[in-house]
This record gives sequence, C-alpha cells and structure tokens, in this order.
Amino acid sequence: MRLPLQDLWSMHPKLLGHPTDLPRLGALALQRAGHASPVQAGVNHGGRASTAEVEWLAQDLALLETHDGNRVTEDGAEAVALAYANVWAGWVVKRRLQRSLRADWLLQNEEGWLALEVSGTAEGDPVARLKEKRQQVALCPLSAQRLALVIAFDRPSILADSP
Amino acid sequence: MSDGAPVLAGLAEDELDTFVSIAIRRAEILEDLRSPQAGDAWSEVMIYEARLAEITRPGEIPGSVARVGAVTAALAAGRRSEASRLAALYLAEASLPEEGREAIQRAFQEDQERLSHRFPALSKSGRLAELADWRARASDLHVFPRAAA
Repeated sequence: MRLPLQDLWSMHPKLLGHPTDLPRLGALALQRAGHASPVQAGVNHGGRASTAEVEWLAQDLALLETHDGNRVTEDGAEAVALAYANVWAGWVVKRRLQRSLRADWLLQNEEGWLALEVSGTAEGDPVARLKEKRQQVALCPLSAQRLALVIAFDRPSILADSP
Repeated sequence: MSDGAPVLAGLAEDELDTFVSIAIRRAEILEDLRSPQAGDAWSEVMIYEARLAEITRPGEIPGSVARVGAVTAALAAGRRSEASRLAALYLAEASLPEEGREAIQRAFQEDQERLSHRFPALSKSGRLAELADWRARASDLHVFPRAAA
C-alpha cells in the first residue's frame, strides 16, 4: 500500500480550501520524528498486520517553530489517516463532524458511510490510544460504519480498529 | 431560514460541507483556547448546519448530521432559545431516525451538565435558567453601540 500525502487533495477534493494544510503537517510530523520520505510504516488493522509506504514532499523543519506541537501531531495524523482510509477502501471525505457526534470525519464510498475518529501520538503507547478512540467512536450515534485510526509517528505505524 | 440566509441560499451542499467543516475546525480551536470569540464561531457553524438541514433529507445520514449539528452548535454558541426552536422543528420531522432524535435530546442534557460544571453555585441553587435569560438579554447589548448601529 502506497500513501502519497502530497495527493491528499485529489483523494479528498473537499479538503481543498481548508485553512489547515494537512499534507504539510503530516510531512512535518513524520520529519520531526526523524523519518525521510518514503518511509515504511507498520499497519495493524483489526489485528491484521501489513505495511504501507508513506510518501510526502519534504518540508523545512523550521516551520515547526510556527506551529503548536500537539496540533502538528493531531493534524499530521489526520493527513495520514485520511490517505489510509482512501487507499484502503476508497473512502472520500464528505464533511467534518462536531465533537458531539464522537467522530472527526464523515466519509463516503460506494457502499455507504464511515464515521472516522483520528488521533496521533508523537511517542508513547498507541495501543492504549487506539482503545480509547475505539470506545469513543463506538458512541457515535450515526448509522454508519465506524473506524478509529491512530498514527504513531515515532515508529511509524498505523493502527486501525472498528468497535 | 436562519440569519445569513440570503448569502447561503445560492450555495450547493458540497460547498456548504466545506464551509461547515472549516467553521467547525475554527470553533473547536477557539473553544480549546477559551477565546471569547468561540461563541461567534459556533454561531457561524449553526448557520451552515441549519442551511444544510434545509436542503437535506432528515432520513439520510447527512441530513441527520446537519440537524444534530445545528442544535449542538446553537447550544455551544449559548443560543439556547434558538437551539430549542431548531430542535422542535427537527423533532417534528417524522423521518428523522431515532438515533438523530436521541442525539438532539442528549445535546441538551450535555449542555446542562456542562453549565452545571462551569457554574456550580448557580446549579446548586437551581438558578441556571437565569444564566440563559441573562445571555439572551446580553446578546442585544453592544460594548460600542455606535459601531453596532
């Protein structure tokens, strides 16, 4: 699986015009963790292990001085997660969801709808975070498929699971 | 149609999806920063959500999302009477699914819990309703009345 972050806008046309430059923040989060493009990321989706090659356009790390560190992690995770959701099953962003719906994004593909909850870790235990996010998205009241995705930038790895 | 209606009337659902996504993001960041502008940002979200609710079907997921979203954004903006008005409108729609109804009702419960947590003394003495009255009156006041004219 190849995840080209620089192609995020063609995967999700509705992200065009967003003030947050998700591909750039994904790149910065990966570079901050010491990675260079392309990097092999471990994938664990519902217990099934595989790998993904994450690609991005190199960014100037000086940009990190102008961004909040936590936002780089969270927005960077959204970039990788949305790329993964698209390449994995053709999911395309419909819109962002309010926190009250217990998920970050509503996505659509030919089969239906997906409520996606995303989080990122710069270091630490991503498995515990995935458990927390899976419990959160389980509370999403929509009649949609639900998926929690955690991007661990230090390893790097992509963890995904549904409630 | 809510305030902002003339501008939004010409926008398609896809455009509104983008606008509401940006507005939610902005409102959440301002709320996390405890910015006094968070209320205005949530009002903007409410306007987009309410317009999306007008052009989507209540029985479909985007329609349900917009209806729940309009109510929760109105509550987050402190516009409780508007939230009640919208909730009454949406709950009267027969095809709104049960999960949408429950989410709208839960939004009011969570708003009460949030207010109780934020104003424990008012909550203890059963005076949270006064807060809503004060907010409703204060929303018509302006620090710089000439600028508002």
